[in-house]
Amino acid sequence: MRIDPNLVPTILADLQQSQVSLNTALQEVSTGKSVNVPSDNPSAAADMVQNTIETGDVDKYTQNVNSVLSTVQSASSILNSVVTSLTQAVSLGTEGANGTNSTGNLQTLATQVQGILSTVVSAANTSVGGAYLFGGTSTATPYTADSTSPTGYTYNGNNDTNSVAVGDNLSVQANVPGSQIFSNTSNSVLGSLSSLVTALQSGNSSEVETATSAVDSALNFVGQQQAVYGNAETQLNSQETVLQQDTVTLSTQENNLIGVNEATAATDLTQAETDNSAALAATAKVLPNSLLNYLEPPS
Amino acid sequence: MGGLNTSLLIGVQALDANQGALDATSNNIANVNTPGYTREVAQFTENGENQSGDDVSGGGVTLTGLQSIRDELLNIQIQQQTSLQNSANTQSSSLQQVQTFFTTSGDDIASGLTALSSSLAQLSASPGSASAQQSVLSSGQNLADAFNTTAQGLSAAQLDADQQVPQTVTQINSLTEQIAQLNTQLGQVPASNDGGTTQDQLDQLVQQLSGLTGISITQTNDGETITTAGGTPLVMGGQSFNLQTTTGTNGFQQVLDSNGNNITSSIQGGTLGGAIDIRDQVIPGFQSQLNTLASQFGTAFNAAQAKGYDSTGNAGGDFFSIPSNANDAAAGMSVAITSPSQVAISSDGSGGSNGNVANLSAVLTNTLPSGQTPADAYASLVFQVGNATSNASTQSTALGQNLTQLTTQQGAVSAVDINEETTNLMRFQAAYEAASRIVSTVQVLDNAALNMGSSTSF
Amino acid sequence: MTTVVTQDRNRNAAEYLRLLVALREEMDKAMGAIANNALTQFEDSIACQQLLSTRLVVLADELSVPLSTDRAAPPAPIDDHLMHQIFTAGDSLQKLNRTYAALLHHSSRSTALMVSFFASARGQIQEASGPRLKYQTWSCQM
Repeated sequence: MRIDPNLVPTILADLQQSQVSLNTALQEVSTGKSVNVPSDNPSAAADMVQNTIETGDVDKYTQNVNSVLSTVQSASSILNSVVTSLTQAVSLGTEGANGTNSTGNLQTLATQVQGILSTVVSAANTSVGGAYLFGGTSTATPYTADSTSPTGYTYNGNNDTNSVAVGDNLSVQANVPGSQIFSNTSNSVLGSLSSLVTALQSGNSSEVETATSAVDSALNFVGQQQAVYGNAETQLNSQETVLQQDTVTLSTQENNLIGVNEATAATDLTQAETDNSAALAATAKVLPNSLLNYLEPPS
Repeated sequence: MGGLNTSLLIGVQALDANQGALDATSNNIANVNTPGYTREVAQFTENGENQSGDDVSGGGVTLTGLQSIRDELLNIQIQQQTSLQNSANTQSSSLQQVQTFFTTSGDDIASGLTALSSSLAQLSASPGSASAQQSVLSSGQNLADAFNTTAQGLSAAQLDADQQVPQTVTQINSLTEQIAQLNTQLGQVPASNDGGTTQDQLDQLVQQLSGLTGISITQTNDGETITTAGGTPLVMGGQSFNLQTTTGTNGFQQVLDSNGNNITSSIQGGTLGGAIDIRDQVIPGFQSQLNTLASQFGTAFNAAQAKGYDSTGNAGGDFFSIPSNANDAAAGMSVAITSPSQVAISSDGSGGSNGNVANLSAVLTNTLPSGQTPADAYASLVFQVGNATSNASTQSTALGQNLTQLTTQQGAVSAVDINEETTNLMRFQAAYEAASRIVSTVQVLDNAALNMGSSTSF
Repeated sequence: MTTVVTQDRNRNAAEYLRLLVALREEMDKAMGAIANNALTQFEDSIACQQLLSTRLVVLADELSVPLSTDRAAPPAPIDDHLMHQIFTAGDSLQKLNRTYAALLHHSSRSTALMVSFFASARGQIQEASGPRLKYQTWSCQM
């Protein structure tokens, strides 16, 4: 075969190709990504859409876990203080039931228990971040003074709960309504405390004893409610671990789909630059020669 | 009869033949810088023997055109591949433009869906928070903007393709007129002078024409008859037939033949075919999917709003406003609510309830009437856009190299020996087959790395 | 024992990576050879590609973890950095493979056409009548 006098277009094509490789390598190094547009790798690009959304989901679940954890922990510590208060009330009531108290003593005890009742109501009205912890889904102050009520307080909240998503198929109840904890008809904390006040004021030992045992029962009841929060906390903590693992997995997937290894990119760039220089050098050698040199006289 | 006359005759023929060879050589050198100039090779074959009485004399020599037939075949292939490549190039450019709207940039639909999802989650944990409510409104706005921008990007690419139509038709008409003139010129050339230069110019113009639109060529006694791939006449001998353009009912340029018939859908190949295909088939395919997603998503989100109550205690109203014309769904989608308090957070009307947020979030994770979740539907679209773009540029590159190969064959002076050339071609065929098997093997390796069980494999 | 196994896997993975890169380069050369119509170069390149691709398939098999693997005792993980390079090189090879496949498709069609022409060029040529430049019509079966 004789030499092709049409070498020039071939050389220019080679040069263009090495330029394209150089541009690609430059872009990879500067963005750190080897998929910049969908055509770079269509499947990876489609998978990346999923990855982006799932990563967003995991981020949001993590935020929610933290948010609910914080609420649960606040509620839990409040209940701790309520338990302390109730324990104190039980011991005051026990003292009041022993039959050796004077009327004055009993009045003092009643006043102290009344004080405890106020403290517990304040606790029940705690708000965090502008939202009441124990009002259900109502925005009204959970407990307000009401002289017509046997406990002296009326519940303005509702019985509804909010659930917060912390996983694709996992929601956690974020609140327990006050009506369940503090003014539960079967075991009312407020009710038992105000009954104890009344009993102490009446001075009747056996009434005081009954009332004290009701407060004790309420104390156990609160203890059980704490367990609900404790379980929620455990569930949230383990979900947090799952989410952390998901984050690692998704981030690895992202890297595999579109990431470019920095060292490889830098090597590619050097190689592409070398190729480009070589192509340029080769072109420089060939072009100035007269094309006639390639023509052989007909034999 | 033999004798002196025959000998003289043979001598003259030989001189003619040699003169022809010399002419060919000087033509070669004079035309070396003219693109498309085909090298001519003088070939000598034996004439048949003259029988005259009892004497048998050698028949002398004449030129044959086997070489030019082979080159003609290469010409035809080069034309066809040029049509294909120009079409692929046109589509590739357009799609490169389109796919930028589908890359993750923060303003794209995937980012919009993600942000809306996140803002809803935040709202779920803090239903009373004014900033969380505002966040949902803003993300909804960003998502609608993303749909608008993507739709506009597709329309713009369509318009660009549309503008190429009248431009290309003008170029086509100019070429066909010149080709017709050359056909006439060639008709006036006596047979003993071969019209080498004119023929080469003609071949050049025809190749340019093939780059603009796919063509079909037949040789007749009056010269070349050229039609479009769909059969519409462009040139018949010395006469050319102009194509026309006119605005169609959809606002796009239609291509008409010289009788006024609409031949737009029959145009294949070349820049014109590529532009029409992009404008009338490829982009509308993407637009349809985008509009369906916008419409179904907006409708589902509005339905979720309606299940709940907003912060003022009213039943939830439409969050998104979707144009009634299905073709405008993505371009015209907007947010209908004006205040964060209109986000339907509550499930029972109480101020602190987050019960309806789960319904709003569910729109992002449940399947739409199309059968796919919003994320799946969008991911699908991204894949199609990326795949179409990748295919167009793959074809363009491969066709470019194929064309280089054909041009190399055309330019090289091949062995006169047909047997040698055929053997080489058959070796090439065997090599292509072996290469194809390797291509298949490499495809098998596509997901191999995912199975290697490393800590990083997913 | 585990350390030795890990080293073997990493060594195999490193070889896999080198082969991926080499095959991609060889494919690039082959495409250039086709464009230049350089038959011998093309054939040589294919021979190399056959060796490389065969070895790659064997290695991929050795390195892959079967589904039935005991989850409690998974095989030693391959170095992260190495794995990442393998993903990148693999993607690049697949992309080029698609272009190579398209080129082979077009070029083998061209070649088939030329072979048919040469197989039928003799004996079926008709000359057009008339005074102008003669066009010779040939026909063949592909």
